[in-house]
Amino acid sequence: MAKRIVLRLDHCIGCRACEAACMSRFKKEARIRYGEVSATVFVPLACRHCDEPLCAAACPFDVIRRDEETGIVRQSSFHCVGCRSCVMACPFGVMDTKLRRCVSQKCSLCSDRAEGPRCVATCPTGALQFLEDRELEETRLGVSVTGKSAHWRRP
Amino acid sequence: MIGARRTTCTFCLNGCESAVVFDGYQYRMEYVEDGKVNLGRLCPRGNSANLIIDHPSRLSYPLLDGRETNWSSALEQAKGWLASMVPEQVAVAYSRGLTDRELGLVAGFAKAIGTKNLVCGHIEPENSFNYKAEGVKPATLDQIRGAKAMLLVGDVFMTSPVAAGPMIDARYADADSRLVVIDSIRTRQSGFAHVFIQVQPGTEPFALMALAGMLDRKLKGIDVDRMARLAGADKAKLEAAAKVMGSGAAGFVGSAMHLGRVRYPVLHSLASQLVAQKAGMSFVGFGEGRVPIGPTSFPRLCQAVEAGSIRMLFWFGGLYPYSYPELVPEFGRIEHRVATSIFLPGSALPGYVLPVPSELEKETVGHSYWGQVDRSPVATVYSGARDVSWIIEQFAPGVGPAALDEPAASEPNDIVSRAAETAAGYSTPEAEWTLVGEKRAVGIKGIYDAEDWVNMSPADAARLELCDESYVRVDSDASGDEFRVHVTDLVPAGVLAIGVNRHSNRAMFPLKTGRLEETAIPPTPVNVAKSARLAKPAPEAKAEA
Repeated sequence: MAKRIVLRLDHCIGCRACEAACMSRFKKEARIRYGEVSATVFVPLACRHCDEPLCAAACPFDVIRRDEETGIVRQSSFHCVGCRSCVMACPFGVMDTKLRRCVSQKCSLCSDRAEGPRCVATCPTGALQFLEDRELEETRLGVSVTGKSAHWRRP
Repeated sequence: MIGARRTTCTFCLNGCESAVVFDGYQYRMEYVEDGKVNLGRLCPRGNSANLIIDHPSRLSYPLLDGRETNWSSALEQAKGWLASMVPEQVAVAYSRGLTDRELGLVAGFAKAIGTKNLVCGHIEPENSFNYKAEGVKPATLDQIRGAKAMLLVGDVFMTSPVAAGPMIDARYADADSRLVVIDSIRTRQSGFAHVFIQVQPGTEPFALMALAGMLDRKLKGIDVDRMARLAGADKAKLEAAAKVMGSGAAGFVGSAMHLGRVRYPVLHSLASQLVAQKAGMSFVGFGEGRVPIGPTSFPRLCQAVEAGSIRMLFWFGGLYPYSYPELVPEFGRIEHRVATSIFLPGSALPGYVLPVPSELEKETVGHSYWGQVDRSPVATVYSGARDVSWIIEQFAPGVGPAALDEPAASEPNDIVSRAAETAAGYSTPEAEWTLVGEKRAVGIKGIYDAEDWVNMSPADAARLELCDESYVRVDSDASGDEFRVHVTDLVPAGVLAIGVNRHSNRAMFPLKTGRLEETAIPPTPVNVAKSARLAKPAPEAKAEA
């Protein structure tokens, strides 16, 4: 069953630990970014690993492919030519426009780590969660995430 | 996988458990999900531990006036310097990064060479949490998790981001839970507050004293209206905060202090604790590290250096011992200096700089907000580094540890009179621009963030015809630099905020030594001018280059 990174908007304190964990692993190459919605609201921008990834569709060399079993949209860095088509195609703007070692940076959900992505493991407030679709429905987290703005804080 | 070594993070006092793995090629962080305090979570600083171990700026040989030398000649010459001194001409300072045993040995070393100039060099405002108010209990982690009323002063979330987790959970756990934040700038933390009280930079203690006066009307000597006015705080909001804190609900007061943000650190600490006492709550002072206050105060050392009576300085510390000589340029006048460091100093400083292991390479019992923690080494001692205890042994063979006393606890009346005296000497700054320090939970040594940008309010940016990514020149009495502008409503008009992890940014804030033997690095008046430097080079200029 595919698992995804889900953000609890009202828990993020904008500390950028997610970015630091990613940088720490990939030697200063953060594959998760953050967006500043307002002075007091930061939002981590993690790859959605879409069911129909536009980055993969845009790639002229089929370097990005979706693993149907795990749901992970993977990139083969060895074959990437750094054309940035994937960066431009991403509808969520999560891919960094800067190339590292002449290739674009693509989140792989830390597939080398059995416990899941490092950004989720490190998140100090538990704002980032790594959940299956079923778990997402059970916790009704999706409802609170999609139904509110990033500025929203519970009273 | 060669091995995962488990330890307790050293970068703040939350006591987060983590592990460092060496895979044969590089050190990597691993997250310990059964960690009692943090459940595997780590902040950006905690995530940088693996990068500290083999950082390219690690110092692996002694330096003399910025040039490489060897241990034997370094020790021989330094011993010669020490032998030529009268004990009163020698000062011994200690700062963060030392184990309890090493701290004791430093005190023993000062005693052995016969000097009374034993000074705490950790002059970060957070060290003033060593000053305790009588009868205030330290908060436990369970009290944080079960809190229904919370008061946070300063940016607690960025000081210990992992500690913010239980606070946010507690805030959301019950619809009746209330969070009050007092700060001079709107931080991310203020976005979570039910009551946010914005004060003038550095005047948090006055707002806290007003709050204490509202909580206990019988407490004499506090002019609530005057204190609120000095702080520039909205009295109605203070009353709302007093209602929350005086409701009798279980809760705590958390306070944090940062360089460039606090004008009166000792009063800040004591006033926060007084509010906790009057609200019947526990207290926790958040900070990256705490070192015992020494017998000689830092202002006295500065005076002695100024008078030329100190001719040799020993400065022992592990992590950032060289942050402070930038703040105290007068120390450059001292004839002979012997300091320890884990990193190469940013500039060629006179005297010896000796390489020592970082806290990640030492076994010790550490301290956290929630009690003692065990700390085991996650890597072998860095090549060329020697323990502080070994270095002391070379100068004073057979020296044993000595005790460092804690300051006596203050009674409420002492705190009130200290606040009255401080208020009498305070006048609202009239400078057009004030620079404040902002704590950012970035990695050590600029690993994640260059901190070359300044936060500016939209009104100020419009006045100077600046936009995001423009450059601005900021000059204080101590230093000056150019910064990228980040337009944000985080700061009020007339206030600029810069990160204080970068050494050159810290140097922007001049050190102040007050009448009450207090060392502060307060918000500072600055001159601001639009820079001629362009945000981004024009395409044609880029092509020419």
